Amino acid sequence: MRLRERQRTSPGEIIRTSALCLTLALTCLFASPSFGLEVPPLTGRIVDRAGLLPPDVASTLSAELEAHEAKTGNQVALLTLPSLEGEPLEDFSHRVATTWKLGWKGTDNGVLLLVVMRERKVRIEVGYGLEGVLTDARASRIIRNEIIPRFRAGAFPDGITAGLRAIIGTLEGTYTAPARPPAPQAPAASSALLTLALAVLVGTAIGLLLSTRRHSARGLLGSVFSFSIAQSTGLLLGVLAALATFGLILWLVTLPPSRHRRARSGFDFDWGPPVAFGGDAIGSAGDIGFSGGGGDFGGGGASGDW
Amino acid sequence: MTRRRRWTPVLLLAGVLLIQPGCGYNELQGLDEETNAAWSEVLNQYQRRADLIPNLVEVVKGYAAHERETLESVIQARAQVAGLKLTPEAIKDPAAFEKFQTAQQELSSALTRLMVVVEKYPDLKANENFRDLQSQLEGTENRIAVARKRYIDKVAEYNKAVRFFPTNLTAKYLLHLDVKPNFTVADEKAVAKPPEVKF
Repeated sequence: MRLRERQRTSPGEIIRTSALCLTLALTCLFASPSFGLEVPPLTGRIVDRAGLLPPDVASTLSAELEAHEAKTGNQVALLTLPSLEGEPLEDFSHRVATTWKLGWKGTDNGVLLLVVMRERKVRIEVGYGLEGVLTDARASRIIRNEIIPRFRAGAFPDGITAGLRAIIGTLEGTYTAPARPPAPQAPAASSALLTLALAVLVGTAIGLLLSTRRHSARGLLGSVFSFSIAQSTGLLLGVLAALATFGLILWLVTLPPSRHRRARSGFDFDWGPPVAFGGDAIGSAGDIGFSGGGGDFGGGGASGDW
Repeated sequence: MTRRRRWTPVLLLAGVLLIQPGCGYNELQGLDEETNAAWSEVLNQYQRRADLIPNLVEVVKGYAAHERETLESVIQARAQVAGLKLTPEAIKDPAAFEKFQTAQQELSSALTRLMVVVEKYPDLKANENFRDLQSQLEGTENRIAVARKRYIDKVAEYNKAVRFFPTNLTAKYLLHLDVKPNFTVADEKAVAKPPEVKF
């Protein structure tokens, strides 16, 4: 019943949908998102685009922030910019923080101190997980009492140093972060591999059990099932699972019908593809230099100007 | 017997094709849940703002008691907002959604007026307690903006899945899901109206 209904409505739907797609595509083409200011790459804990800090101050601060991360797990970073080029401070600050992904995934323990010279604005952007410790009011006090007075006197390195130290001090007062969570790629890859292996196994079993005697029909049925199961992890894996199952079934069926052997060869084949993929996944999980851990920001923090 | 056997794979195949990921069943369910979560975050941040207001009003009263009109309008707008509790179920109704948005908008403008009035009282502005509250209010407004943006993006994604082929078939006939209302550009009338400046 449902199937019939589906067939009846689909031609009209297809036309309407393709029209919609075309319109949307055209709209996207003309109204391409104009993100005014580009987020600078995260080259370290101190990204001094405005050139405010002498090298020795920068390296001292960087070491202090690194020590703080080693102690508590919190990722604190500084960005100075010559200008916002018309973008609202809060929007840009949030975009930088979420692009850099300061803090760790799940604990969201990152803080960004942003200083913009031409607009004379400062902002402390606080990650979700630290909002309870570095509250808006505390962040605002750091800006008002530590940073702004020094900036007004023209002592920018002093103001930044005092601000960062106050942030670290506030965070270390009460906060102890849990141990580093593992890198996010590893579990995703292994669950994909598990699905793939499962898909091939289940597909083969179904293909062998349910289909008619003809080999190709068995293979096709089995691969369709594997494809369906593995597709949830991606089209490529689905196709791979389908091909693997098809080959496996044809191979099993052409063997002399000895149950013992069939079971064993099934297991043999099973660990074939995972090894190739495992190598890939491990290779991509490198950790060089400073990078964000996947923390998220909800707009907490405070702003000020001098 | 043989006939039934021949049909079994076909039926099974049809079943699998129906629930397989390509038709968007899981995707739609996931997006529905994610929009609900994003909406809860919006409510959460609006609630946080409403909770700040009594303290703020108290502090301002201490220094600027004769700004009664402005204070009253803030208190009233807050009471209006407190009367609306929108669950994820209720926001499917565009009229209720509209009402919610208007009420929050009124509170926003009442608060803006209060903050403008406050400029006349240097003692109040120097009060550390007031400055803390002010920074909390600013932070909360910013969180609201972030939560709203995330909700807008999530609903757009969800609505796209509900409308696009072939997931629209699953949404319509299997799950009976409909598009959800989204925030409009912060009240067009308010944006179009130039700010009043009085001397």
